[in-house]
Amino acid sequence: MSGPFDALREQLLGAAESLAGGPDALPEILAGMVDDVDHALREPLEIFPVCHHSPASALAMARRLRQKQPKVIYLELCEDLTPLLTELRNCRLPVALQAFASEVDGFPKESAPLSVIAPITEASAEYQAIAYALETPGVELVLVDRSTDHVFQWQPAAGPHVGEEPEEDLHGDAVGVEIGDLRPRFAELEEHLLHHGRVRHWSEWWEQYVEQPLAGADHETYRQVMVMIGSLFRRLAPHDTRRLATDEDRERYMWTRIREHLAASGADRADCLYICGAFHAASRVAEAGSAPGTPDFEITGRTATQWLYGLIPSSHSAIEAQFGLAPGSVSIAAATWQKSLLRTGVKPFALAGQKSGRKKKAPAPTPAIGTGAVTDQLSGYLAGPPALDGLDEEELRGWCVDIVRLARRNGYLASTADAIAVFETSVLLAGMRGRRRPTPYDFQDAAITCIEKEVVPGRRDVRRLCEILLGGDRIGQVGYDALPPLARDVYDRLEPLGLNLTQRTIQRALLDLAARPELVACSRLLWMLRYLLPDHAVRPIMGSRRLGEKPIQESWDLDLGRHQRTIIELGYEGVTVEQVLEQRLRRSAWEPKATAATALKAVEDSLLFLNSPRLTEELGARAVELLAAERTVDEAPAVLRRIRRLMAHYRATEPALPAWCERFVTEGYAHYCTLLPTAFVDDETGVRQVGAMLGFLFSMESLALSLGCDRTQLEIAVRQSHPEPPAKLALLWAARHQLGDLPLSDLRARVDDLLGNPLVVPAVPQYVSGFVQALEPVPRLAPFVVEILSKAFGSLPDPVLLPWLPSLIMTLRTQAAELVPVLTKEAGRTFPGTLAGIDSWTPPWESRPAPSAGPAVRAVRPGGGPAAALLAAHPQAADAAAVLLGCPGEWTHPADPSDEGAAAADGGGAAVRALLTAYPETTGVVAGLVGAVV
Amino acid sequence: MSDMLRAPAETKYAEELDWLESIDDGPKPFSWRLSPKMVRLFILGSERADGLDREVSQKWFGDRSFVERSIVTLASDRGLLLIGDPGTGKSWLAELLAAAISRNSTLVVQGTAGTTEDHIKYSWNVSMVIAKGQSRASMIPSPIMTAMEGGVIGRFEELTRSTSDVQDALISILSEKYVSIPELDTDNIVFAKPGFSIIATANSRDRGVNDLSSALKRRFNFVRIPVVTNKKSEAEIVRFRTEELLRRHDIELEVPPTLLDVLLQSFADLRAAAGSATSDEERLESALSTAEQIGVLEDAILHSNFFGASALTAEALAGSLVGSLARRSPEDLAILNKYWHGVVEPRSREHGGEWGGFLEGGRQAIATLS
Repeated sequence: MSGPFDALREQLLGAAESLAGGPDALPEILAGMVDDVDHALREPLEIFPVCHHSPASALAMARRLRQKQPKVIYLELCEDLTPLLTELRNCRLPVALQAFASEVDGFPKESAPLSVIAPITEASAEYQAIAYALETPGVELVLVDRSTDHVFQWQPAAGPHVGEEPEEDLHGDAVGVEIGDLRPRFAELEEHLLHHGRVRHWSEWWEQYVEQPLAGADHETYRQVMVMIGSLFRRLAPHDTRRLATDEDRERYMWTRIREHLAASGADRADCLYICGAFHAASRVAEAGSAPGTPDFEITGRTATQWLYGLIPSSHSAIEAQFGLAPGSVSIAAATWQKSLLRTGVKPFALAGQKSGRKKKAPAPTPAIGTGAVTDQLSGYLAGPPALDGLDEEELRGWCVDIVRLARRNGYLASTADAIAVFETSVLLAGMRGRRRPTPYDFQDAAITCIEKEVVPGRRDVRRLCEILLGGDRIGQVGYDALPPLARDVYDRLEPLGLNLTQRTIQRALLDLAARPELVACSRLLWMLRYLLPDHAVRPIMGSRRLGEKPIQESWDLDLGRHQRTIIELGYEGVTVEQVLEQRLRRSAWEPKATAATALKAVEDSLLFLNSPRLTEELGARAVELLAAERTVDEAPAVLRRIRRLMAHYRATEPALPAWCERFVTEGYAHYCTLLPTAFVDDETGVRQVGAMLGFLFSMESLALSLGCDRTQLEIAVRQSHPEPPAKLALLWAARHQLGDLPLSDLRARVDDLLGNPLVVPAVPQYVSGFVQALEPVPRLAPFVVEILSKAFGSLPDPVLLPWLPSLIMTLRTQAAELVPVLTKEAGRTFPGTLAGIDSWTPPWESRPAPSAGPAVRAVRPGGGPAAALLAAHPQAADAAAVLLGCPGEWTHPADPSDEGAAAADGGGAAVRALLTAYPETTGVVAGLVGAVV
Repeated sequence: MSDMLRAPAETKYAEELDWLESIDDGPKPFSWRLSPKMVRLFILGSERADGLDREVSQKWFGDRSFVERSIVTLASDRGLLLIGDPGTGKSWLAELLAAAISRNSTLVVQGTAGTTEDHIKYSWNVSMVIAKGQSRASMIPSPIMTAMEGGVIGRFEELTRSTSDVQDALISILSEKYVSIPELDTDNIVFAKPGFSIIATANSRDRGVNDLSSALKRRFNFVRIPVVTNKKSEAEIVRFRTEELLRRHDIELEVPPTLLDVLLQSFADLRAAAGSATSDEERLESALSTAEQIGVLEDAILHSNFFGASALTAEALAGSLVGSLARRSPEDLAILNKYWHGVVEPRSREHGGEWGGFLEGGRQAIATLS
């Protein structure tokens, strides 16, 4: 067989022989590369090899498309992304095509959500092809790569997502797919190439050895060289890896799809163009080739997972981070692309309506020139030094001046002298590194050498400034029309704020809800967004949303411009924010780990954000269900807090409690009564939980009883409880006191006994802790708690008291909301408020008079006056009540007028009389109401 | 072998430099003895791809771009300031550069608190002045002035240690490139010949002692040399310098590679610990540079050679490490004690080998010192 590459093959084999010390595989690899190129070029369907982020590829693509004017373009891109491509018109590049599945079917559950992105930049060959195909009538663009579903099918079992996210996080944790991923497949090869190329990054190597020489190359050279490089990496790739197997499967997949399309459409192979990565161009799998009869690859079906598609904004730095490129390389590629366009005069293709700043160039079709026989272009490329452009002085000078200006603006003491030095140094560095023309990397090094001193004065160092200068990070934006309905809806509804929400800065929104009631809807939406995207997008500066509050003014920091992706991804979950929120609330209440407390939280959130009684009702019913099924009481405090808040809300706003609320109370009453004895004994259950249970039982008691619960259930439950730990014992005593089973005097006597018994003293603090917890269920015990706290502080020995203090303080701190106000209020009432008062102060519990007739007398005396006189005059009602209560009534007769209490009462009566005489209207009206005649 | 304790680079590598000069066909700036590419090759060593008949060894280990930037700076009209932590090889790089470019690395001014302007410009031979009066003959030129007259590289070590007024004397030398001698009536200006430049070194730990004026900063290109943290290249450096030492002392001693690993690992550990420490008390005073590592190994080698059984042991290495790093008592000792018990002990249990001996030796050394 003789072909155009025979001479080169001979030459390379000769070289392999002369390198006698080399590995045996060398001749095979070298000859194989030439064979691969030969094979690829013989394919009747033109294969166009590309590399990602390669301006040379893009340039060659633009040229080739103008020249050949293909009718069908096959592109290596997930086939199910096709409908998205037209939406690119509405976007500012770079953006990424995204496929998203939040609910998976056929993949492991923990791998959800699945996300695939394919970033598109302006300086890429694929964009040229897409723009050409979409803008030229009669051209068909066919995406032939495996679908996003297959991406995950073929992936080695994807584990759960790792929580770590990089800083430049525009892509989230999506899996990236890219056209033309061309990079050595094992680290040693890359290291070797970098070392011998005397460059630092792969991107730099590529730029120097492939990009620059190919920038001005003709189509044939470009194609042959790219296939050869693809073949080189392919032959040097480790052969037994899963990655290579996947790649080969993809090639089979793509060729199968191409043949299917060719057969179906009957297109002429000469009018078609197949664009794929150079790695795939050199494919030798049996299924490759457009000839009919080539064996097909069996394409498996997709899983039942439903995929949603959309565009998300991307950026150069996000692409670099995702695909492990050197920082700045994509920006440099973009700058190189612009420059090559200027220099070569090639007119690029662009989508109409693209927001890129450049005018759309009308394609000027030139007659297609059929390429003749294949000729060997490789020998020239391999043998000669790369034909470089001469020193582009003008450009370099521009960079030097600009970097100095930029550096000065960032706090460096740079001057014109530095510009000159940077220029000189760049040229010298390039010369030393064997380049005729300084690359951006040389320029960067030179700028660092000449401008960077020992400290960085501002936020950015010279390296970063160079990146900015050479194009900087460009961040794409998805246009309004290409947004999902939810995102569009968000933008529409925030319109009344009058802010430019597409801007990539933080915007402060001031909502004066009293003056502009139309903003209430905005505020509601913002709170919903805040709930759905807690860390991003919107942040309240002033204002809060809680039950029972009505906002007057709010201010917000809005950062929607930078968080467009999160809003777009929210759009995959539903059509409106409300719908997504409803789904989330439902999910939280129905997830397997949900508890009554979480369901109550969902109820509360539904009241706060959504005006949907139906949903609230459902969530409430779910809460009842969950509560009844619960076997532990760990969350009792949270349940108590939330149900109290909800009941307070309903009492204030609704005429009656909703049905679910009533059921919750009755259900809860029975539930907690049942669990009480075990909770008292169980070591696992803390005092706080038991306290919260008692709190629920006592504070809901009246409601529960009115709804048909039975009090004896509680009494029996308390009687069945026999706790051992001192703290719970104290709690039990408090409960019995509340139930009227244990009078205060007995309680006091018990505590005094404890304090008096030296054997029990070390345990006293625990009793006190129990009583402190009893503040919540039995608030009227507050004076007693203050009393025993005072006693404990007064009489406990230091070795007992001091070790306990920290835990007391910690308890009070963690439960400050419930315990501290009660305690301080009571303490304020008990203790004197002034320093002088302390000297003469005796605690109320010590100054207690003898429990003889005293209290009864005192009780009546303040009650003297007209009321007492009335009761004394008509004693029947009081006597009847006394008989009913079973206590013998005993009347003290109204004192004679000389008694001071009566005098005071009389004085009070005179004043009231005078007042009523002066303003008789009220009395008259009351009399009229009760039907009395004055 | 020369009879110098430590020969300057140009003497030590004289033969190699001669050979490189003979094959060098690249363009040479000014009066350079080697072209920039050859200078780089001399410092960073040759590779097969360079196609040379003989191998040139690597003499300085670090990022290629630092060397390139340094060479390029010397070819431009700015001075070179190498800045970095102590022990990162700044002075060694400066010496190699001066040796390769002008075959003379000894024109050195050492910056100290006592350095005066005379050390940078010129001074007078007093007895000669009394006898014959002021003339060029009775003038003593400084190393910098000598470098100017010869068109070669002058070196200024520890630039930031000298006071600001002395530093500022360099400004006119670097910008006007001449020194005037007002005491003389004729022949009173010394002009720098092409090829003259200055390599200064500065210690980044001394920052703030005598800050450079911005006028002087402008005349220097800064190249920051970081501490080597790459284990592979660090091992390379330590091996290179130790071999040199062994040759110098004619010591027949084998440094087992496992022991070298122990040393590198322990330094890496201590560096990590210093990095995460929050106050100076929790940090060793030493910068834990590569030079320090070499010092530790040297110490251990010499000790084993003269007092030990002519074989380097892990115990000796541990003793030397503790001895050279424990500078402050009790802070440094406490840190080392913690390291030994918290890291070395579990490691010796896990890996055994040299770590066992290392643990024992370190323990003894710490006990002796505390």
